[in-house]
Amino acid sequence: MSHDGGTPVLRAPTHQVSPRAIPFWTVSALIGDGVLVLAAAIAYVVVPDVPGWVGLVVLALALAAAAHVLVMPRIRFRVHRWEVTDTAVHTREGWIGRESRIAPISRVQTVDSRQGALMRLFGLASITVTTASAAGPITISCLDDHTAREVVARLTEITAATQGDAT
Amino acid sequence: MIPVPGDGWSRLSPRKLLLDPVKALRQALVPVFVAVIGVSQSDTRFWQFILPVALLGPVVLGAVPWLTTHYRLTDTQIQVRRGLLNKSTSTAPLDRVRSVDLEASLLHRILGLQKVQVGTGVDDDRIELDALATADAQALRTTLLRRRVAVSSPLDQPGLEVGDEVSAPPDQLEAGPVPVPELLASIDWSWLRFAPFSLTRLVLLAGALGVFSQFADDLPILNEDTASSVWGWLQQFALVLVVVVLVVGSLAGWVLVAVTGYVVQWWNFRLVREQGSFNLTNGLFTTRSITVEEAKVRGVELTEPMLLRAVGGAELSTLATGVEDGVTAVLPPCPHDVAVSVGEAVLAASGPLTEPLVEHGPLARRRAWLRQVRAWLVLPVLAAVAVWWLEQPWWWPVPVAVAALALAALVGETSYRHLGHHLLGEHLVAGSGALARVRTVLETDGIIGWVVRQSWWQRRIGLADLVATTAAGQERVVVRDVGLDVAVALADRTTPGLLTDFVTRQLEDA
Repeated sequence: MSHDGGTPVLRAPTHQVSPRAIPFWTVSALIGDGVLVLAAAIAYVVVPDVPGWVGLVVLALALAAAAHVLVMPRIRFRVHRWEVTDTAVHTREGWIGRESRIAPISRVQTVDSRQGALMRLFGLASITVTTASAAGPITISCLDDHTAREVVARLTEITAATQGDAT
Repeated sequence: MIPVPGDGWSRLSPRKLLLDPVKALRQALVPVFVAVIGVSQSDTRFWQFILPVALLGPVVLGAVPWLTTHYRLTDTQIQVRRGLLNKSTSTAPLDRVRSVDLEASLLHRILGLQKVQVGTGVDDDRIELDALATADAQALRTTLLRRRVAVSSPLDQPGLEVGDEVSAPPDQLEAGPVPVPELLASIDWSWLRFAPFSLTRLVLLAGALGVFSQFADDLPILNEDTASSVWGWLQQFALVLVVVVLVVGSLAGWVLVAVTGYVVQWWNFRLVREQGSFNLTNGLFTTRSITVEEAKVRGVELTEPMLLRAVGGAELSTLATGVEDGVTAVLPPCPHDVAVSVGEAVLAASGPLTEPLVEHGPLARRRAWLRQVRAWLVLPVLAAVAVWWLEQPWWWPVPVAVAALALAALVGETSYRHLGHHLLGEHLVAGSGALARVRTVLETDGIIGWVVRQSWWQRRIGLADLVATTAAGQERVVVRDVGLDVAVALADRTTPGLLTDFVTRQLEDA
């Protein structure tokens, strides 16, 4: 498959995830970071004779957490993309780093969809496609409900039609 | 006397009735001992009840598996039925049998028994028959492997419709009814010279020492008084002499342990290709015989640990699907040339193990160095903390830092030298390893997906880790710190068609 000329570039998958993913990521980051910052603040107040600079550390932690909560979901939304063709599944994710995953549909073994409590609140669902390799599962996170159902139905249909033991 | 296909159920060897109680007794020894001691310290009246239960229990329990386990061969399946209360039946279609392993511990061998494990390749659970009489086990193995060849007609072979690789599998198809086993390697005792340079066994030795140290407190020689008097006694002699004796002594001990371990593990080692399978036998006390279908072997890994490489040795493993842990050492530590030629025979291709790899360039080298510097920086930091804590002289961390940096540079450079990739025909080759040089070869047909991963640092300099996912071996082959465009091009060339939809070309020739 040698195309002529130029550097090959992996293009971004076509579809973005659901826009409701931004509030979902914000809330889950808020919960996670909030617990951490709160624990640090309480420890700072409760423990006697703490040197003054520890307060600055707690403050810095709180600022970093706030930046994370505000910035991360927006970058993530721009990075996260997915695409299912008749032959392959392709996803891209990350916010500081990047990770692209591609698996041929002929090698797909299971298609699972998952919805946590918080995800249900936002009407989101994730789909995980596994292959025979422990290193190969592909997760399309934060699709909205009905898209997720469609994708699962489509994937099951295509994989049911393929033969072999997929190793 | 294994059952003819279509016959009824048969039991395991009756000699299992001797095997299991002994095993059960051995396992029950500690709890029984503890119970007996515990009871005897509180009340002696219970003795007469405890002792018979403790001794007869294992014997009765040990007999249950023999009474409840049955197996049979049908025309298309092997079936095993077991269990007293929870009954279970495992079946495997004969054409799905991918591996047949025989194993015999010393106890098995005294009783003339062997444990048979049948793997079907797709999932990890295997059908286990523990134990059959040796002749029966051999017969079952031959039957299973031969029937597999007979049942699966050449048309069933997946991948043949690709068309362009008709030359690769025929020796396995033409094996026919009269298979001629081909000896790929057998033990050559001159290889024993490599034993002391292979440090894998050192881990076991360290473990044994750890166990020993658990009891060391109770030994009379190691309390504080004797230790200090021994120290005083030592100081009367030249300390250097003592150190020399200790070093020479431990080296001699190591050589002894390594050579013994090598002999015990690789006694009677043979690697044979027969009936479309690889068969590995070895072992002095516990004998093992592992059979893996050739089509399930997706690649090999050639490892040259630093010490072994210095004396021209190497180790070879196969990467297979449907085997217990995927990576099977198929050669003892042996000369590099032997490992390469056996590897080439297994791959049925020359080149992947010898061709120079494509280097990843100066940026990858910088990352390799920096990674090691970061790792080794721990030492001077620890030294600085020690200085601050123990009020040592201030310059103390400086030599530590210098030494750590020198080591980091050395390891960084070697790990960069080991880095590389190549695509040779139908094999993807990846070089890795910091101190050991590791070369992983994977059939392109065995690749079932790609991951292109970039950390923030890698994005800044345009590098990426390319991961080929597979069902074989450790389930991934990583090409580390390769240029992003090179990674995408490599993946595209390796699995033609898969990436076509997702790859665009950027013409940037100015």
